[in-house]
Amino acid sequence: MGWRSISIASRLALWALLGSMLVLAISGTILFIHTRDTVLAHTHREAGALARGAASRIEARLDRVVVSTQQLAALIDPSSPDADKLLRQALKANHDLSGLAVAFRPGDGTIAPAPFVSRDSEGRMHGRDLRDDPTHYWQQNWFLGGLTCRKGCWQRPFFSKSRQRWLINFSVAIVRKDKPIGLVNADVSLDWLRDILGTLRKPDGAQAFVMGGDGVYLAHDRHDLTGHPGSPALLKALAARNGAPALLSARHAADLDEASWLYGAPIKGSYWSLGLLVPERRIYAPLRHLFIIDLSIGTLALLCIALMLLLVTRRMLAPLGVLAARAEHIARGETAFELPDIRGRDEVGRLTQSFDTMRQELAAHIEQLTEAVRAQQRLSSELEIAQQIQTSLLPSEHYIEARTTRFELHASLRPARAVGGDLYSYFMLDRHHFCVMVGDVSDKGIPAALFMARTITLAKALAAHTLSPQRMLKRLNQELCVGNESCMFVTLLCGVLDLRRGRFTMASAGHDPIMLCNEDGPRLIDAETGPAIGLDEDAAYPSHTVQLHAGDTLLMYTDGITEATDADMRMYGIERALRVLGQSPRPEKPSEYTHRLLSDLDRFVGSADQADDITILALSWHHTEDDGDTDVLELDLPGRIEDVFAALERCEQTMEASGIPGGVREDVRLVLEELMVNMVEHGHTGRTDGNIRLRLECDDDDVRVSLRDNGHPFNPLETKPPSTDTDGATDPEQVGGFGIHLVRAMASELTYSHDDQGNHLQLRFVNHSRMEPDS
Amino acid sequence: MTLNIRTESTTPERITLFVEGRLDASNYGPFDSEVQTKLAPLPEGGTVVLDLKDLEYISSAGLRSFAKIRKQMRARNGHTLLLNPQPQVRKVFDIVKAVPVNEIFVTVRELDDYLDQIQRKMMQEDR
Repeated sequence: MGWRSISIASRLALWALLGSMLVLAISGTILFIHTRDTVLAHTHREAGALARGAASRIEARLDRVVVSTQQLAALIDPSSPDADKLLRQALKANHDLSGLAVAFRPGDGTIAPAPFVSRDSEGRMHGRDLRDDPTHYWQQNWFLGGLTCRKGCWQRPFFSKSRQRWLINFSVAIVRKDKPIGLVNADVSLDWLRDILGTLRKPDGAQAFVMGGDGVYLAHDRHDLTGHPGSPALLKALAARNGAPALLSARHAADLDEASWLYGAPIKGSYWSLGLLVPERRIYAPLRHLFIIDLSIGTLALLCIALMLLLVTRRMLAPLGVLAARAEHIARGETAFELPDIRGRDEVGRLTQSFDTMRQELAAHIEQLTEAVRAQQRLSSELEIAQQIQTSLLPSEHYIEARTTRFELHASLRPARAVGGDLYSYFMLDRHHFCVMVGDVSDKGIPAALFMARTITLAKALAAHTLSPQRMLKRLNQELCVGNESCMFVTLLCGVLDLRRGRFTMASAGHDPIMLCNEDGPRLIDAETGPAIGLDEDAAYPSHTVQLHAGDTLLMYTDGITEATDADMRMYGIERALRVLGQSPRPEKPSEYTHRLLSDLDRFVGSADQADDITILALSWHHTEDDGDTDVLELDLPGRIEDVFAALERCEQTMEASGIPGGVREDVRLVLEELMVNMVEHGHTGRTDGNIRLRLECDDDDVRVSLRDNGHPFNPLETKPPSTDTDGATDPEQVGGFGIHLVRAMASELTYSHDDQGNHLQLRFVNHSRMEPDS
Repeated sequence: MTLNIRTESTTPERITLFVEGRLDASNYGPFDSEVQTKLAPLPEGGTVVLDLKDLEYISSAGLRSFAKIRKQMRARNGHTLLLNPQPQVRKVFDIVKAVPVNEIFVTVRELDDYLDQIQRKMMQEDR
């Protein structure tokens, strides 16, 4: 599952969540910074004021010490008897003082009394004279240093072991005659400083301290630091401040626990300063806490919003998911399914409604389309079968008579569509006759193909019974005219080639003229044609005969060739065909004729569509020679009866070998016997050089006989038929007439002539089993 | 194929000649003389039946022989009947009409019926 496959609702919720989180974070940060500054400023103000307040209080307390001490210094002389008393009064009046001492410089061997009054922790006063001390005070640093302080000065703090506390001395020199003669020294306990610091209403975690003028802590909330020097960084910050707070880090200031803001306030009248350290962390801690809470609440709120958004969007977009799934159904072609209820007129509702409409229309459309596709498939498969059937109606493209190679044929048919109306056919009618036909049915496509199938089947069936193209076309026309309501017609060219003599007998039913290609080049044969087949049932088709010579080729074609057009709608035309075929070298085989013409046609047409079926058929006739098994018998016989019968046997054999049927053979034999016996018995009477020459030619359609004899002139055609007697029988005396009568009755044709060589009879016997009577 | 003649005589008045093969100008002479000898014993008013079932071919010479037989029988008040000619032979008869059509029969039964008829007629005449 990638990011893109997450539902819109989830993405919307997630983006909304992220967006508002970002806004919250940015605004929170800005607010945080702003609030932090405000809080800081506020802290600065508060802490600064606190520090200054504390400094003032310390200042006030110190002032009293200073004033008391200065007064004492002004009052007391070395000769003052009540110095001790004065000290006690002063000590009593000022609780900040822990002890007071007066000491004078020794002079002239005398030492003035040096009283020292101190107060213990219970508040009792104790007095002694410093002169009693084992150490000479006038040699002590505190004394020597104090002599220089005419206005008074604060000494370094020190830990008094006797009193167990931190003390600091304030010394004021007693000046007489402008010379310091002694001093008043006040011990000030630092405990009250600490108390003051302790009572400050400091922020949590803040520490306060008092820094002496020499950089030593006089008091500190961390008691262990009292008396110790402050770190240089802190001292520097304290000295450099102009009342402004400074941030110190624990790294630079060893006397700090953590990074803290320092608020300093000078204590006037001394070189002391009060410092307040507020840890930075403590300043921001509440702020941080607040922000964490705010942020948590905000985030929680956002999460809730996002969740609600998710739920609401999901609920609103749920129909979309269903629609998406249904769309997949539609993609698979299923249109019967439940759609979500339409809840409103919002976008989703409208979409659902449109989807429903689309589904219904799609279903109807798909149904129509399926039906159409099914019909289309059925049609195309039927068309394919029709094409196969039609192809099977056509004989193969190439034919050569295997036995004698007397002729060769090559045909080519290119339908413009799957099935077409052009046709060609050829077949041997008998051993010596070859029938060929080329036709073009009006119209194209399936109707034409059906008509073509009918034509080619009928033509073939009819041609088998006749050798005459003329009659074949006539019969075909009569058959096809019957019930031809659609007035379809076919132009057809039918020809029969007599393979032995090269005679091509043809008849044309409105078809393009045939082309003869011989050594003089190609030319069209202008033959009269009849009307196209299928229109006029009384039509007649004139016959035309072309005599071929060995090597001649006949070309038959349909108008698909002459009327082929190129991209500019120019027609190919017969002239171009003649020119192309006339180019040398002259084609030798029929296939070369068809290939040359078709390839030139392809060049001419180029990319243009083939509009009509194209058919071309080339028929080459090779030679006239008889093929060995001759059907001609020539005999020269003397005029004796036994020779006649021997000759008759030869004739019989010849006819039998030629496939002449028995009935015709018997007729021929009878006629010849009658004639030749007649010649021998009557024509040659009184001569010995009687001679008969007989020539017998057997064709499939007839038997032709030529009889010559050198006997007396005798014309059988001039004898009268024998008369019959009363009971219907011929008189045997007239029986000589029987023979001639039989001859005339049995021969189909009989001609007689007489010349200087004698009688010449020519007879023809039609083979009725092959020829049908003229209709 | 040469010519062959077989004879069969069921009754003295009637003789059947089976003519087999070819009858033409080359062999009609021997045929004529053989038939003469076979017809000689027939009594007056006899009947000769020419069975042509196996006659393959006949020319005008053969026709003449048949005509002669017929003429001879008529002279003796006899009958000449042709039985079962093959199509080729029948054609020749049809063309030349050497024999009346009512004397040509296609089957033996037809012939017998005709002979019975003649006999009955003759018996009626006798009475």
